[in-house]
Amino acid sequence: MQSRKEELLERIRTKIRVTCDMPDLLIDSITFPDRVAQFKVMLQAVGGEAIELVQGENMQELICSRFPESKIIASNLPEISFATINPDQVDDPHELAYIDLAIIRGEIGVAENACIWIPQMMKERVVCFIAEYLVVLLERSALVNNMHEAYEQISFHDKEFGVFISGPSKTADIEQALVIGAHGAKGVLVILT
Amino acid sequence: MSTKHTKAADRFIANKAQEVWHNQTLRFVRDKRDNMAMQLPEWETLRETAHQIKMHTITHLDHYLNEFSMHAEANGVLVHWAKDADEHNQIVYSILQSHGVKKLVKSKSMLTEECHLNPFLIEKGIDVVESDLGERILQLMHKAPSHIVMPAIHLKRQDVGRLFETKLNTEKDNSDPTYLTQAARVHLRQEFLTAGAAMTGANFGVASTGDVVVCTNEGNADMGTALSPLHIISMGMEKVIPDLKSLAVFIRLLARSATGQPVTAYTSHYRKPREGSEMHLVIVDNGRSNMLGNEDHLQTLKCIRCGACMNTCPVYRRSGGYSYTYFIPGPIGINLGMSRSPEKYSDNLSACSLCYSCNNVCPVKIDLADQIYKWRQKLDSFGKADPAKKNLSVGMAFLFKRPVLFQTGLKMAPVINRMPRFFVYNGLNDWGKGREMPHFAIHSFAALWKKGKISGANQKKKNAES
Amino acid sequence: MKVGLFIPCYVNAVYPEVGAATYKLLDYLGVDVDYPLKQTCCGQPMANAGFEDKAIPMAEQFDQLFESYDYVVGPSASCVAFVREHHPDLLKKTGHRCHTAHAIYEICEFLHDVVQMDKLPGTFPHKVSIHNSCHGVRELHLSSASELNIPPFSKIKDLLSLMDGIEIFEPAQVDECCGFGGMFSVEEPSVSVCMGQDKLRNHMQTGAEYITGADSSCLMHMQGIAERERLPIKFIHVTQILASGL
Repeated sequence: MQSRKEELLERIRTKIRVTCDMPDLLIDSITFPDRVAQFKVMLQAVGGEAIELVQGENMQELICSRFPESKIIASNLPEISFATINPDQVDDPHELAYIDLAIIRGEIGVAENACIWIPQMMKERVVCFIAEYLVVLLERSALVNNMHEAYEQISFHDKEFGVFISGPSKTADIEQALVIGAHGAKGVLVILT
Repeated sequence: MSTKHTKAADRFIANKAQEVWHNQTLRFVRDKRDNMAMQLPEWETLRETAHQIKMHTITHLDHYLNEFSMHAEANGVLVHWAKDADEHNQIVYSILQSHGVKKLVKSKSMLTEECHLNPFLIEKGIDVVESDLGERILQLMHKAPSHIVMPAIHLKRQDVGRLFETKLNTEKDNSDPTYLTQAARVHLRQEFLTAGAAMTGANFGVASTGDVVVCTNEGNADMGTALSPLHIISMGMEKVIPDLKSLAVFIRLLARSATGQPVTAYTSHYRKPREGSEMHLVIVDNGRSNMLGNEDHLQTLKCIRCGACMNTCPVYRRSGGYSYTYFIPGPIGINLGMSRSPEKYSDNLSACSLCYSCNNVCPVKIDLADQIYKWRQKLDSFGKADPAKKNLSVGMAFLFKRPVLFQTGLKMAPVINRMPRFFVYNGLNDWGKGREMPHFAIHSFAALWKKGKISGANQKKKNAES
Repeated sequence: MKVGLFIPCYVNAVYPEVGAATYKLLDYLGVDVDYPLKQTCCGQPMANAGFEDKAIPMAEQFDQLFESYDYVVGPSASCVAFVREHHPDLLKKTGHRCHTAHAIYEICEFLHDVVQMDKLPGTFPHKVSIHNSCHGVRELHLSSASELNIPPFSKIKDLLSLMDGIEIFEPAQVDECCGFGGMFSVEEPSVSVCMGQDKLRNHMQTGAEYITGADSSCLMHMQGIAERERLPIKFIHVTQILASGL
């Protein structure tokens, strides 16, 4: 017996009258002379903040100074020694329900819209979404101009999930008034290293 | 001469303050969209490319759907195929049932609205929780969305404040959006933490990788799917695109067109099920394949549901989403409704002045206004033409086919100028509702021409010379 | 150059002065202008209402009357757009080829693109607000549509700028529909009038004395509202300004 899939695909085949060619995707797209500056401006515009780590500055001290109230801090990054919970070492994602701060690593930053590509590199990815505040570490050299360049470069790690995050969670569903912190992070700090 | 839309629009406009707010607020979203579009020199190239990618994909839909589903299956995703809404709902329910799910959290999905999934599941005893703030507000009110991207745009903050007072125990008379959003955050966080399954729609399905891509601002799709052991995706079959390179084009257009943001806060790529969880993908036809066979209206299948056509539509902005009889309003809704059932949804065709602004804002260049024009031509053939409009058109054609009669008409017309107001401005004169009649000229252009009263300097000179 | 003058039905009946001004402009250029007396209507009102078939005899009549001219020129963007965009399809249904779709021009287009007029005698010492009509902008491309990221231009503005003393303004939401829309105006009167009121407000906020444009139909709709509400604003077709010194 023909499967439902085959039936629907066959139905589609009988309906198609004309066929169109795939266009050329070489689009001459916007670039920025100073990607770091553009990224910072865009991240601010979407409600986040990017700062550059200066040489000799201690990253952990910097984070602590920015989030002095945070008690429960989640991270699996080796350079973050003050984390109180490790998303690799929980049995169930619900154990990460009440974290104040998560510190994660991003792989690509996009100057045109402040997106950061974050492939899942921890056992429980909920940490990226459920924390009250999010810190993303990103190498300055990983900034690209636009999404075309970003999609050329993205890679998935073994978990095969990835997300572009651009600033904090937000909504304007009540009277179009912008409110930061709908479900996800109420603030996103990007540290450019 | 009026449709269900006309009457509903009258009611919407009767609340002038509401109409003004709705109009101006959505026009502001259009302005934000313009601002984004003008910042990208390649904007028009992006639109043209997006149009071509979509035309290519929908005209090779069998190929791309096959490729997409093969990759998804290879990634460990369980793929289901549904020919219609009933089948879709049954599939979703049977998945939930086999996992013993009592509570389902959903992120925004117009397809599940189309299939009326929520009432179906609720009747079966499933606790269905919408998690997009706007959708949740409407669910608590037992109302439908009035816009596909800003579902609660017709409500005022006080409406939400009063609702949350009774449903979420918020402070009396506090309708501050930040306060109300925080209350919803706390309330929905508990729902996320206690749900047995999460459901999302799909903005895009990437054939070359099997990725399902979902765009949200709130992060609700990820909150749900990262916590619960079951992720169900409901996806219309037209959502498939060839590859990640194509995706870049659409991601650049989507949020800029929809809300005037450079991108949504979250662009999530679901490729494999999360460790210890299952991922199900339901690919739905529900009339889409029929649209493929209709060359005049094929292009509606390109839609990426950004809502830009609603925000620019001068009629939508002044009549509200509920004035349309199809669940998707505005220019795209008029056309999608007609493609679904022309007999049932033809009332919406009056909601268009043929200004063509929708064609110009559409990021995938759907010929929305042209399609409305074409649908109007078909109304008479299935008995849905307005008799008054038809009589008027027949009458005009009769007159215009007869130049001599037309000339007589031109002579007679000024009589109207001198009629008592009562004869001209009565309930039968739809023009006279809010407007004075035009004043017919005592001598028409044709009459002046015949009398030699139309002249120019050169011609006078020539006449003098000869 | 033989030009057939196309005076749309409602211009004929309500605004003969617009026809006269159009004639004056063409005559000033020294072209051979003729007005075929048997013309009536392009058929757009019936077609936009959903009765395209009723418009076929009008399209046939129109094509026969005007096929012998080098150019067909008319003072109405919407009617010209209908001939150009729809008459070929209408005539195809009866097995005819449309001769006029490529020859027809709206008067501003004709002056700007074909004649490339760069000077015009006359002064018009008034403030005017340009009404960029939907079909003028989005079908005839008389100006750059506000939705598109293309270099800005306005043929009407270029032409009006040839007049001495004129002050030219454009309303906020520069090319939003005024709500006329042919039969839309009587099928959806509430929305139509509401759109017109908003459009009038934007025009009047420029401080202009006149609203001018290439479509008398939009002007007629807005004028009807302005008269009902006794608003202090005047209406003038763009050809009347351009021909005022001839």
